[in-house]
Amino acid sequence: MSRTPFRRFWLSLLVALFLQLVALPDAVAAARPLWIPLILVYWALAEPRVPALISAFLLGIALDVLYNTVLGQHAMGFVLLVFFMARLRAVFVLFPLWQSTIALIPAWAAYCLLMTMVDDISRHRADVWLRWLPALSTTLFWPLVYTVLEGATRRHSQE
Amino acid sequence: MRRSGGGSNLRATHFIRLNREGASLNSLSASSHKPLFPRGPGLGLKTLALLMVCGGLMAAELDGERIKSPREWLAVALRPVVWMAELPDQVGLAFEHLDSRQRLLNENIALKNRQLTLEAQLQRYAALDAENRRIRELLDASARLTDQVAVADIVAANQDPYRQQITLNKGERDGVYRGQAIIDASGVLGQVVEVLPGTSIGLLLTDPDHGIPVEINRNGLQAIALGQGSGQRLRLSFLPANAEIMKGDLVVSSSLGGRFPAGFPVGRVESVEHTPGGHFKEALVTPAARVGQGRQALLVWSERPAIDALQASEAAAAEAQQIKPAASAVAAKPAAKPAVAAKPATPAQPTQAPPSTQPPAAKPAPASPPPPAEKPATPASATPAPAAPEPAAPARPAPTAPGP
Repeated sequence: MSRTPFRRFWLSLLVALFLQLVALPDAVAAARPLWIPLILVYWALAEPRVPALISAFLLGIALDVLYNTVLGQHAMGFVLLVFFMARLRAVFVLFPLWQSTIALIPAWAAYCLLMTMVDDISRHRADVWLRWLPALSTTLFWPLVYTVLEGATRRHSQE
Repeated sequence: MRRSGGGSNLRATHFIRLNREGASLNSLSASSHKPLFPRGPGLGLKTLALLMVCGGLMAAELDGERIKSPREWLAVALRPVVWMAELPDQVGLAFEHLDSRQRLLNENIALKNRQLTLEAQLQRYAALDAENRRIRELLDASARLTDQVAVADIVAANQDPYRQQITLNKGERDGVYRGQAIIDASGVLGQVVEVLPGTSIGLLLTDPDHGIPVEINRNGLQAIALGQGSGQRLRLSFLPANAEIMKGDLVVSSSLGGRFPAGFPVGRVESVEHTPGGHFKEALVTPAARVGQGRQALLVWSERPAIDALQASEAAAAEAQQIKPAASAVAAKPAAKPAVAAKPATPAQPTQAPPSTQPPAAKPAPASPPPPAEKPATPASATPAPAAPEPAAPARPAPTAPGP
């Protein structure tokens, strides 16, 4: 059995945090893919041995501080997402890439819905229709992220 | 391939456990509810614990005040990540620095011309300022024309598209306080919502969470301008149906609410809507400040909010007849220096002014909040003797003032 890929795990999460924070032009800022959920979901589905749940929580708190949202908002979303993906791992291993891309759409949509609801509770108004854009862009980015991370894993295991 | 191997492994373990527990299933003992994969606390338990922590944090924050100090530590600890994320932006700026010399020269000339024009205007303004101050002194009013300002760099913008927030490079150490107004060259930009030791976070005018008390410059009509999100106009809702407001009106900040200094431009009325039969009018205002452009902002130290003035006046009432605590409490905020400077000014006053003139001056102090703020200013500028502390209190326009 190969070594647990802790180093790649943390590195990929750091890159995800970076991509989540990097400045985008105003026109596409609302459609920024959910980078951290993307990476977390990949690890939750592909590798049971990495501490995805606790890192989801820590990254969520970090993002709450950086985005100045209610403390625990993103953390809750990430933890729930990782939990359900870890539970559904046995189903997702059977899916080819295109099927998992489609099967993940409800997950991204549910995440967007949760964030909207928490924003609503904290009385932070926002344009509701734009809030679904990340679900779309995340779906489009999933095959890319999956292929890149899977490729890195395969190359590593061959060495 | 490896993953499918893992999956079948899991399924195998599952079957083994089921077979092993087959005997106990008949008797339905407590052990039949044991988790299938007993390695540490189960996934569900861990999730539940983390969710409870999240829920607790959110409930605490939604209920009342924000959890401040852990946020500050985390913000400081995450500084490197933010810095890294800003690198691409900085690189873009660096390229801008390598601009053509000709363009810089042109810009320099344009700026010089502009400065000349502004200085010319300022000369007239100085005379008006002095006149205005004299008249206000006669009225014993507290409003001032100039406030202390400091230039702060906008070091970061919140990347959440639904939050219009900026980070400034001035914080608690520079005397920034929560609720302080932020302006730019052309109007009100927003206010400070969070103060960290070295930086502070400002909420922009256009954020959906932001509202600012305003008045129409033309006729003094009061309203509240609510933000509507990025790139949108401000909305003045619930105006009376007969309110006199029209397209092109200048909207300026109002000091009602005690947060913003009065008289800074907020925007211009873009359109007025009135649905027939409706009880209220609604107006849209284009912000005057260049929201989302520029790298600098000005922090304004105005007089302390009305609440503090009220407390100061209460303190003054408690210390019957003694004006000193009120004066130092009012002057305390802008910086440590003015508070020290204000003290020598007040004792000087009773010695010079005959005792008969003091009671009428002191009386209105507990009655209304604004007058105590002016109290130290009136005697100080009325008598030429304590002119020395003047420069220490930069909020005062006295240096240009001729004698009464």
